[in-house]
Amino acid sequence: MRGLLKFSRIVDEINAQFGVVANWLVLFACVISAANAAVRYGINGILALAAEFPLLHILAAAIAWYGSNANAFLELQWYMFTGMVLLGGPYTLKMNEHVRVDLFYGMVSDRARIWIDIIGGLLFLLPICIILIYFTWPWFLESYRLGEQSNNAGGLLRWPVKLILPVGFGLMALQGVSEIIKRVAALEHVIEDEFKYEKPLQ
Amino acid sequence: MNFIRDNMAPLMFAGMIVFMLFGYPAAFCLAATGLFFGFIGIEFGLIQPDFLGNLTYQLYGIISNDLLLAIPFFTFMGAILERCGLAEDLLDSIGQLFGPVRGGLSYAVIFVGAILGAITGTVAASVIAMGVISIPAMTRNGYSIRHTMGVIAASGTITQLIPPSLVLVVLADQLGRSVGDMYAGAIGPSIIQVVLFVIWVAIVSVLWPKDVPALPIEARTLKGWALWAKCLRGIIPSLGLIFLVLGTIFLGLATPTEAGAMGAVGALALAAFNRTLTGPLVYQGMATTMRITAMVVYILIGARTFSLVFQGVGGKVWIEQMLTSLPGGQIGFLVFVNLFIFVIAFFLDFFEIAFIIIPLLAPAADKLGIDLIWFGVLICSNIQTSFMHPPFGFALFYLRGIAPPSVKTTDIYWGAIPWVFLQLILVAIVIFWPSSVTYWIEKGTGTDPSKVNIEIQLPDMPPPLDLK
Repeated sequence: MRGLLKFSRIVDEINAQFGVVANWLVLFACVISAANAAVRYGINGILALAAEFPLLHILAAAIAWYGSNANAFLELQWYMFTGMVLLGGPYTLKMNEHVRVDLFYGMVSDRARIWIDIIGGLLFLLPICIILIYFTWPWFLESYRLGEQSNNAGGLLRWPVKLILPVGFGLMALQGVSEIIKRVAALEHVIEDEFKYEKPLQ
Repeated sequence: MNFIRDNMAPLMFAGMIVFMLFGYPAAFCLAATGLFFGFIGIEFGLIQPDFLGNLTYQLYGIISNDLLLAIPFFTFMGAILERCGLAEDLLDSIGQLFGPVRGGLSYAVIFVGAILGAITGTVAASVIAMGVISIPAMTRNGYSIRHTMGVIAASGTITQLIPPSLVLVVLADQLGRSVGDMYAGAIGPSIIQVVLFVIWVAIVSVLWPKDVPALPIEARTLKGWALWAKCLRGIIPSLGLIFLVLGTIFLGLATPTEAGAMGAVGALALAAFNRTLTGPLVYQGMATTMRITAMVVYILIGARTFSLVFQGVGGKVWIEQMLTSLPGGQIGFLVFVNLFIFVIAFFLDFFEIAFIIIPLLAPAADKLGIDLIWFGVLICSNIQTSFMHPPFGFALFYLRGIAPPSVKTTDIYWGAIPWVFLQLILVAIVIFWPSSVTYWIEKGTGTDPSKVNIEIQLPDMPPPLDLK
């Protein structure tokens, strides 16, 4: 049991780190998206300014560079979104913030809840993650082998975002195992119960 | 065995309910239902073995959907606004402005709720920001606890009906309609809802004047110019943010997603301006946003897995036949659907309803010739109640979280009830008066004129008075 708990702690730590990455993606995606819109509509103004003042020529160059990479920035937004969801999902599971229908869950004893989580983890979460990896992994490999590019001019390579899917489900499966270990340990009173559930706020 | 094969869709629907009630996180319950019945379906030869491979395309469709990006952006914006001091400024000044009138603080809460609603798209931000300021102010001035709780919860919840609402973005995505039209359609009902709230406060102030006293002279610290200056200091940045988000969408300058992102950046700027912008505040906002986004999109992944298989075993046809054969045509369908959603909202939260229930209802609504914008706004008005009805309403949860312990939970519940009725009155108005929605939608933007020509039902007029 001790070895298993150690494994569980390592998984928790890894996913907490991915959680931090996902947190930052929120801010980055937000700034990039706002900048995309601002540049698209402010572009003429900036160019006019740059033509007036020699010192601002560098701005015109920056706009030209942006112009040839505009699609890359647009695509970067949803790449980051994918990262947010799939790299952050496992940490959300650790924090017990995936929403439940708690009609019965809210009424039963702590012990029954632990059992619900163990059974759900074994019968629901793990099989789903395995099947989703089974489907998405070859799909990523294919894209990687072909060096698949975006259809948009100046777009990004496709395989990195396709890689995030199986990796994210893999991390979710690991987190699922970790949660099961912790709950079994709690049943045997090796560790104290630490699985408070509150409906996530929206 | 034949029984199972012939009734696969109803069985699967029942299975979904059983799996969800089990209490494991809904996203995984949904996906598990999908896969479980997927394998049974393959076993019975109802679907091809490689049918499940379509899942990859469903997943790709989710992650590359630009509209869903609005979820983190609006959530982030709300998380920042909640703590940036804007709501304080507004409530403080507008409360003093309306204070001398009976019920003045309630009017201020409704008014500020509407302004916050037009800035942000998430309910939590409004309810928490307003509750923290208004609960102490209102109880100190002798407002009844129940009335205070009700007006704050309802005015915060209205956020999800007033554009730019996250609920409307998600509904537009699920119904396949443009977000801009959806927002335009929601303008009318938003105004009606605010008016209904105001009327109710007026009624309360006549029938139970002790519940909503006017502010005593001592409490009115600001007068004349100082008061107006303070009002403007709250209202001007609000108008700026409203333009940044709503203005850019309606003018077609930005997509709803980009508008959300600009709103979030604008909220950061406002917080910096108010000197409330700190590292921990931003990081906390990022962290809650990430977890909510992951939670919501996982539900969507689960829901797509479910609906892929459900469609494969003939579920869509089953649901459609059932719904289109309801008595009463359009109105019968709408009344049934709204009752259904009202009840199901006790158990499911908004995102679950949007991702599981709405895709099942939309084809039937379309087939009955119902304008989907109208339908979406109607559902949105109805879902307001899911934030409000005891004991699971989210707005009530938030209030419980910030209300002082002296406030009893039963007071929060009882306080919410009149306002739930006001929301239901809005649902009825929208059902029987479709032009309240369609009036604001620009012609030729996706509304089929043949579908909006529904007769306006005026309430029965009393017979003319005989003055002889």
